[in-house]
Amino acid sequence: MNMASLSLEQAPPITVPFRFFLTAPLFLLLAALALLAAGPAALESRWSQPLLGITHLFTLGFMSMVMTGAVLQLLPVLAGAQVPQPRLMAWAIHLPLFSGVLLLCGGLYFSTAIMVTLALPLLALAFAAFLVIAIYSLARAPARNASTRAILLALAALSLTIGLGLLLAAGIAGMLHLPMLPLAALHVGWGLLGWTTLLVIGVAYQVIPMFQLTQPYPHTVTRWLGGALFVLVLAWSCHLLLSEPAASRLALAAACGLAACLIAFAVITLRLQQKRRRKAPDITLQFWRVGLASLLAAIVLWLAGQVSATLANSTFYALALGMLFIIGFALSVIQGMLYKITSFLIWFHLQGKLPPGKSPHMKSIIQDHAARWHWRIHLASLPLCLASAMWPMPWIYAAGCALLLGGVLLLANLYRAWNIYLRAGAKAQ
Amino acid sequence: MAEVPANISIELDVRDLDPPEPLQQALAALPLLKPGEQLRMLHHREPFPLYAMLRERGFTYRTTQMDDGSYEVLIWR
Repeated sequence: MNMASLSLEQAPPITVPFRFFLTAPLFLLLAALALLAAGPAALESRWSQPLLGITHLFTLGFMSMVMTGAVLQLLPVLAGAQVPQPRLMAWAIHLPLFSGVLLLCGGLYFSTAIMVTLALPLLALAFAAFLVIAIYSLARAPARNASTRAILLALAALSLTIGLGLLLAAGIAGMLHLPMLPLAALHVGWGLLGWTTLLVIGVAYQVIPMFQLTQPYPHTVTRWLGGALFVLVLAWSCHLLLSEPAASRLALAAACGLAACLIAFAVITLRLQQKRRRKAPDITLQFWRVGLASLLAAIVLWLAGQVSATLANSTFYALALGMLFIIGFALSVIQGMLYKITSFLIWFHLQGKLPPGKSPHMKSIIQDHAARWHWRIHLASLPLCLASAMWPMPWIYAAGCALLLGGVLLLANLYRAWNIYLRAGAKAQ
Repeated sequence: MAEVPANISIELDVRDLDPPEPLQQALAALPLLKPGEQLRMLHHREPFPLYAMLRERGFTYRTTQMDDGSYEVLIWR
């Protein structure tokens, strides 16, 4: 297998990824609280202002926050790509990102243009700093493999997502007059199918075989999947430039190709995990399974929407598709990997600080039963979310409570782990 | 390359263990290794993080990929 050396001596200081990992769950709590406060009105349409704010708390506040921290951690480790001035860079990205997300989501939720306007430069600064540093490090990386290629494509997709997002925000703030609907479609497509999916795939190539003791991904998959996905999102985007009927045909063909890529990724990953060498229970694996099952469910729903125009035009369809992809797929795999990466990093950094044999066992850093409770609540939140997409009243309250509890448990588990690091580190002084 | 001592004193088969168990076991075994003895480790992947730690602690190692795709790592002082 063409593995980059997972050289941990290149790892950045632990506070670099952890400032992202420990603050991201706060946005899950905010998202759930905002959902509860807005009530059924939030789900009247996928374009409702409160829902736009809530969605960005999930995608930008939680997902992108964790993904940014993970990329800063993984680049040196996977590709030998040293991030220059990691502490300074972490500040320069995290602070504007954190405050920018609060302002943007507040502005969208409360329909306050001035907050959106203020968020613009902050988010532009955070992502510009992140993209420059990540692409610069990757370009100089000694190791090139399927993972670094997929991550590079994910970063390209992120730059498009952010560019489109900034245009949309300027439109909402009244600074520009733009065709909002097509731009929003592109923004969602590049954000979810580009940035999110490509990064998940790139990271999966490394962490699934390594942490779950599976066979490596087949060579054909690692060679073609990332590039194919990127080209298909690009082809799908181009349909907006064409006139009918060519536009619809291209959009459908590209979407079918995307569905095929996602099915292939989900099925291959599930099969690799099924045939893993060590059958011990593993909470990260459980999160992956929920995530991949949700991804497949989202594709089935999309296919049903291609057959039934009534379904495709319903509010339920758009909401359920978004919920299955964002909460079902992305949140599941990100939270699952977060448990693994945080306990691994804490174990690893203590290894260097404490005398041999004194550092806590990796499995004791996040207790399995505590993570398992979180997983159960997260799983329960999915049908509740889908029910709320169909019948907002009263299900939105049940879904909101489950999401809130899930966020609280994640936060508690991560902070408990961080405390173990701080206490053990203090003893070493 | 230095001569590998013939005497295998410690055998570690960590092929079915998930990270960081293999690394933990190797680090625990190293202090038991006397000069002239070697540790033979069977691993499902190449243990790159271990190499850096071995170099730091003054050990020499040699890795060979076996027919079944797993790795044999020989470690000595």
